[in-house]
Amino acid sequence: MSFLDGLRHRLRTLVRGSRYERELNEELEFHLSLDEMQAEHRGLAGDEARVFARRRFGNVTYLKEETRRMAGFSLIDAARQDLRFAIRTLRRAPGFTLTAVLTLAIGIGANTAIFSAVNTLLLRPLPFREPDRLMQITLVTPAAEGRPARSDMVWSFPKFAALRDAQNVFEDLGLYEETQSSLTGDGDPERISGEMIGGRYLPTLGIAPVVGRGILPEEDQHPDTRFIVILGDALWKRRYNADPAILGKAITLDGKPFTVVGVLPPGFKGLTGKAELMVPVMTRDGPGLAEKWSHEFELVGRLRKGVTPEAAARAMAVLGARIDAEIPGRVGGHWGATARELNGVRVDPLVRRSLLVLLGAVACVLLIACANIANLLLGRATSRRREIGVRLAIGAGRSRLVRQLLTESLLLSLLGAAASVLVAWWGVKLLGAVNPASTLRAQQLGGLGAVVFSSVRLDASAMIFAAALAVITGLLFGLAPALQATRPSLTASLTVGGERVRGAMLRRFASRNMLVIAEVALAIVLLAGSGLLLRSLGKMLAVNPGFDPRSVLTLRMTVPRQSMARDSLPAFYDLMLARLGALPGVTDVGLGNCPPLAGGCNSTEITFLDRPPVPDGSAPEVGVNWVSPSWFSALRVPLKRGRLFTAADRVGAPKVVVMSETAARRYWPNEDPIGKRVGLGQGGFADGATVVGIVGDVRFGSIDSLPRPEAYISYFQSVRQGMMIYLRGTSDPASMAGPARHAIREIAPGFPVYDVLTLRARVADAMAQARFSAILLALFAGVALALAGIGIYGVMSFSVAQRTREIGIRMALGAERRNVLMLVVGQGIALAGAGVIVGLAAALAATRVLRALLFDVAPSDPVTFASIIVLLLGAALLASWLPARRATRVDPTQALRGG
Amino acid sequence: MPRPSASKAELVPGTLDMLILQTLTVQPLHGYAVAQHIERLSESVLRVEQGSLYPALERLQKKGWVTSKWGESPTGRRARYYTISAAGRKQLGAEITSFDRALLAINRVMRRA
Repeated sequence: MSFLDGLRHRLRTLVRGSRYERELNEELEFHLSLDEMQAEHRGLAGDEARVFARRRFGNVTYLKEETRRMAGFSLIDAARQDLRFAIRTLRRAPGFTLTAVLTLAIGIGANTAIFSAVNTLLLRPLPFREPDRLMQITLVTPAAEGRPARSDMVWSFPKFAALRDAQNVFEDLGLYEETQSSLTGDGDPERISGEMIGGRYLPTLGIAPVVGRGILPEEDQHPDTRFIVILGDALWKRRYNADPAILGKAITLDGKPFTVVGVLPPGFKGLTGKAELMVPVMTRDGPGLAEKWSHEFELVGRLRKGVTPEAAARAMAVLGARIDAEIPGRVGGHWGATARELNGVRVDPLVRRSLLVLLGAVACVLLIACANIANLLLGRATSRRREIGVRLAIGAGRSRLVRQLLTESLLLSLLGAAASVLVAWWGVKLLGAVNPASTLRAQQLGGLGAVVFSSVRLDASAMIFAAALAVITGLLFGLAPALQATRPSLTASLTVGGERVRGAMLRRFASRNMLVIAEVALAIVLLAGSGLLLRSLGKMLAVNPGFDPRSVLTLRMTVPRQSMARDSLPAFYDLMLARLGALPGVTDVGLGNCPPLAGGCNSTEITFLDRPPVPDGSAPEVGVNWVSPSWFSALRVPLKRGRLFTAADRVGAPKVVVMSETAARRYWPNEDPIGKRVGLGQGGFADGATVVGIVGDVRFGSIDSLPRPEAYISYFQSVRQGMMIYLRGTSDPASMAGPARHAIREIAPGFPVYDVLTLRARVADAMAQARFSAILLALFAGVALALAGIGIYGVMSFSVAQRTREIGIRMALGAERRNVLMLVVGQGIALAGAGVIVGLAAALAATRVLRALLFDVAPSDPVTFASIIVLLLGAALLASWLPARRATRVDPTQALRGG
Repeated sequence: MPRPSASKAELVPGTLDMLILQTLTVQPLHGYAVAQHIERLSESVLRVEQGSLYPALERLQKKGWVTSKWGESPTGRRARYYTISAAGRKQLGAEITSFDRALLAINRVMRRA
């Protein structure tokens, strides 16, 4: 009970501070009045009685203080007092306050923005039911001709079926594949991203259609039977006005009617992250599905309750070996299978690494900002030492003073955090505008695409992160200066002029030097990182992709499956090439099936008809590209030997292929390839074609990987529905888009034209990921460099101010301005030099994590390191030059007299 | 003019709490009355300074030995009345016991030395 009574009392005094105060006053007033009454009673006159009573009563203020202290009131009260004091102090130094708040706003804001991205892309649970039970299941392939071993190979349907029927660790298995379909009827033709999914895909993820139903078991049995489609929310709203009556109606996909049976929940775009509709895998044709070596399906599984991911991976390894035994591998050894947690593959490893590097970089920036503010505070503490000394002398407790100074720095950091929300908001908006498909190379690399930059937003956890950062930084930059400022050196502080505070001052000065060295070191780390990324980007830009991307517009077009007989396709190509070539300003038109720098397209095995046959599975692989004869000239791909395709190379004429230089070098190292007979596993060229020409290499995969061997087939000898049209013009390529679309609509109404981009933009997209990291890191490094420069400037200015008298004496004794200049600048450079040495050691260790992000640059690249050292020393020179110049203006007489 | 007389004794440290608690066992009192009471009963030997009275009352409340309530004084003014709690009575018993023991010990020393 007593405990409760006491607690209640304490709470009351805490909660009702002002009332407590009033009541205390009233009580004391009452006491005083009774004392007075008594005195009067004893015969004293009114005034006298009051004086007596007052005297008897003692020091009222002291009494109140004591009582209040007893009430445990002081903490909150003192905090309020400290806050008021801090506000006053900061308001009195607006320049300092503004600098500190802005520095912190940038530091905390950048951290919050990057944290939001890291949180969304790496940390926050995937938006599916019990996401920790989801696993990605893949095939493992051995290294084969020209291709490294992979553990993330997709599945063919027969292999999947074998796995499905034999496994017992997963509750559900979801099969899916990205598709592109042409949607026609009711409105403009559209090219739409979708997913072809197994019947258990949606239940595996725990997603249920919000309207209608999912895929029924009987719709997941036999190929080529039930044509149904589930619409994505966005497509449903955009094209069908969110009309529920669409259920049961048919829409036309690639010329075939599909019955709409359901609508997906808003925001869900499948694991590819861009599906606008989903169709069952059983809408495929039977022979295609039965192809054992047609690897195209991704697989996701939901673990049975109680099965660990490790156990599942082991089970998959066992099953993988069994499947390999049933369906032996044809290229270079045994295949297997494995499984990994879906959460682990949510984004591409390179993206993960970039994000973590950026997070480390912004943390460095914030640390530098903290060091800078601590530096400013130390400087202020020096100018406030009289004030603090006086307070210590008249009995202020040190802890109380420290608390007060900390309140000041916490207030600063909270102001900074408040301002940082703006910076973070802007940063997140910028990140959201990043195109995930190109920047994150989502098409070329692993990663789900289900979590993308556009879903990055400032949420509660980001706000908490910012607030926590504010408190931590406030303590970080506030504690050391506060402790140092209040170090009791009573007499010294009170000595007029403060010349005798040398010991304390030197200590303070030493810690300021340490801070600057740390700042410079951190800046070096950041500069090294960004320098390496920029150099790597520069090397990428210098790579010759094998074609000339200037003034070329690209459009994709697909001939809908049922709209045209295959036999009439060559005539259609002729018509289209002629029509587009006649457009004003267009000089060349070419068709190709595979966009360059986009991850590459088809590859197949190549056989040599003049050599003895090799065992099954050991034939080398070659990329296969369909092009029109004019493609080479349109892209300025040079002919090295032999000839290009001609108008005579058509269906029915002898089959011919053109090979790339790399292919020629690899397959015919000591022979002339022209005239050789080869077989290609695709396009109906297995029975043999003649090599007629060798052309320069084109990088189809990526800018930073070497060209692979490529074979070219003419569209006119092996027709295809899909194509990319390349238009080279004399004017701005983007301006050709309108006329080209118009021309295509005239000759081929209803054929979807999409993905219209200049070839330049495609090249830029291919480097967007590298550019993204390099530019952001360079930005952070720039901020770091500026902050470090300001830090050096601050310390040198302070040092010059402290040494005014010494400099005066030197000059009086005949020192030249030049000597003084050298003295100060030398000190600044020495400081920066120490930082550079520490920083270099740290940078050499830190930049190793960049290795995977670098192209053709070693993490310890001497050129980069040399240039950043020069850059930083240059900044240090500038930063100490300004105070040095001020030092040379010291008037000796004044310095000596005024000391 | 009455002055503080030389015969007035300072309180033995630590006994103020006990004296207040003892005083409050009779009836709830306001602060001034507590001081008066102690002074009167000690025949003006013990004097309670306000500077220690109110902090002490605050301390006792915080420990839950005393509770307070606003009431009306005989002169009609609002005054805060302090009441001893059950826990306070228990504490008082403990303090008296230890005080008696200490006093006894002091006496023994004083008589024999």
